[in-house]
Amino acid sequence: MSRDALAWCLVALAAIAVAAIAVLVVRNRALGRKKRQAEDSLTTQLNAAKSQLLQTQAELTKYQKEFDGTIREAEEASEESTKAVLKGSASFLQSLAAEQMTVLEQIQRKYGGDAVLGDLLEVTHANAQMQRKAQGIAVLCGAPVGRRSRPASVYDVVRSAQSQIRNFRRVEIRQQTGVALKASAVTPVALAVAELLDNAASFSQQDAPIDVTFQRIQNNLCIMIDDGGVGMNDEEKQRASELLSGDVVPRLSQLGNQPKFGFPLIGLLARQYGFRVDVTGDSRYGGVRAVVLLPEGLWTEEQPSPVEQEPVSIARVPESGTQSRPRTVNGLPKRASRQTPVAVASVDQEEQPPRTTEDSGRSSGRSLGALGALQRGTLSGRNLDSSPTEGSQDA
Amino acid sequence: MPDEHDQDQEPELELTSALVPFFVITNGRALPSEQQYERTALVTALGGTPAAARTLSPEAQAIVDLVAHGFLSVAEVAGHTHLPLGIVRILLAQLEESGLVLVRKPVPRAEPTDRELLGDVLAGLKSKFGA
Repeated sequence: MSRDALAWCLVALAAIAVAAIAVLVVRNRALGRKKRQAEDSLTTQLNAAKSQLLQTQAELTKYQKEFDGTIREAEEASEESTKAVLKGSASFLQSLAAEQMTVLEQIQRKYGGDAVLGDLLEVTHANAQMQRKAQGIAVLCGAPVGRRSRPASVYDVVRSAQSQIRNFRRVEIRQQTGVALKASAVTPVALAVAELLDNAASFSQQDAPIDVTFQRIQNNLCIMIDDGGVGMNDEEKQRASELLSGDVVPRLSQLGNQPKFGFPLIGLLARQYGFRVDVTGDSRYGGVRAVVLLPEGLWTEEQPSPVEQEPVSIARVPESGTQSRPRTVNGLPKRASRQTPVAVASVDQEEQPPRTTEDSGRSSGRSLGALGALQRGTLSGRNLDSSPTEGSQDA
Repeated sequence: MPDEHDQDQEPELELTSALVPFFVITNGRALPSEQQYERTALVTALGGTPAAARTLSPEAQAIVDLVAHGFLSVAEVAGHTHLPLGIVRILLAQLEESGLVLVRKPVPRAEPTDRELLGDVLAGLKSKFGA
């Protein structure tokens, strides 16, 4: 009996358990379905959010780029307008300084014998420095450098550069060369060398010498500038080389309050006129050796210009006279006009205008001969003795 | 190169002043007094070629060449070299210092008037016309 009851109980329990399990399974399935649905919708939302984010990011980058572009444009525009203003004013100063140099030269010639010349030389020096600064700024802003119509010896070009720096007495040009720069290269090379000399003078002691030497290496002419300064470290050399090559062109606003436009200016000139400048070498004094390398196209073997040659050719006149003519005790040549036949003198007169060495020597003899003829004519007209009447020159 | 660069630019400034200014030719030396090198003082080169002669500027060399075979006055040297008188004086001072030239001062000018005679004439005029 109790066994049956127990069995029924067990059966009922089993039935309840089965029912419970069935219910649980059903509920579990429903829950799983729900969870999957929720997950799906969440993923969709997440993806939507992600794509929105990407879009926004892209937009942001775009705006940032636009912003950068605008800033760059604005900077370039301001650079250009600053350059235009500076170029205008610097060119004006440049031409004024050039004009003043010409005027000063005339004044120096006019008052060459007076004590005021000493002061005029000082004024000219100041003006030459001003001219260089104006020239440098103008060129850096895109103005032409200014030209000269004549070729000049490289020695004179360096002296021209020397005149444009403050401590020009420290510069010593060790040698002269038989090489002339073409007219178009004279001003740019002088300006570049002036900047290098100025650098050399600024970065070395007040009394240290600055040596300039010339050397021909293959087809290049080198102007070498040695200073006794502190030299540059590798980083500075690297930076200098970049600027000097003209590859890196800094903005005007990057030049600083005490603008360092020397190297950028040299770089610009070097690129425009086709020469090279290097400052990475060491000088014989332990400072910097700057080398300006001028390719063949910029120079020629020197052919002295006739204007410069003229005074020297006149200078040779007394020399030729002293060889042939007798001298007085004082070393002065004796006059020799009396020996010149009158007829020859007059024929001579019709030849060529007195220009060259020989001619000017001849012309003095000729005029003396003509005077002699006049005197003889007078004497013979008066029927007097026409022998020379001049006093003894042997005193 | 420079030429094509010029074409798109305004006309380039022409520099007409001398390439080498006078103060560089004299290397910034001070101007000697006028009395030291009068116009009529005579200059001649001293023989020999000291070391200083090798580093002469072309202008100083031109002066040495000019007076190499005789005497020239300071004024004549200035005329021949086309340099202002003062510049020639500075160069001469430099050359004289390095022993390359000799400058001979002119003989001081004799008193051109006879004061006594003029005094007599004045006295005569005074006595004749009264004063």
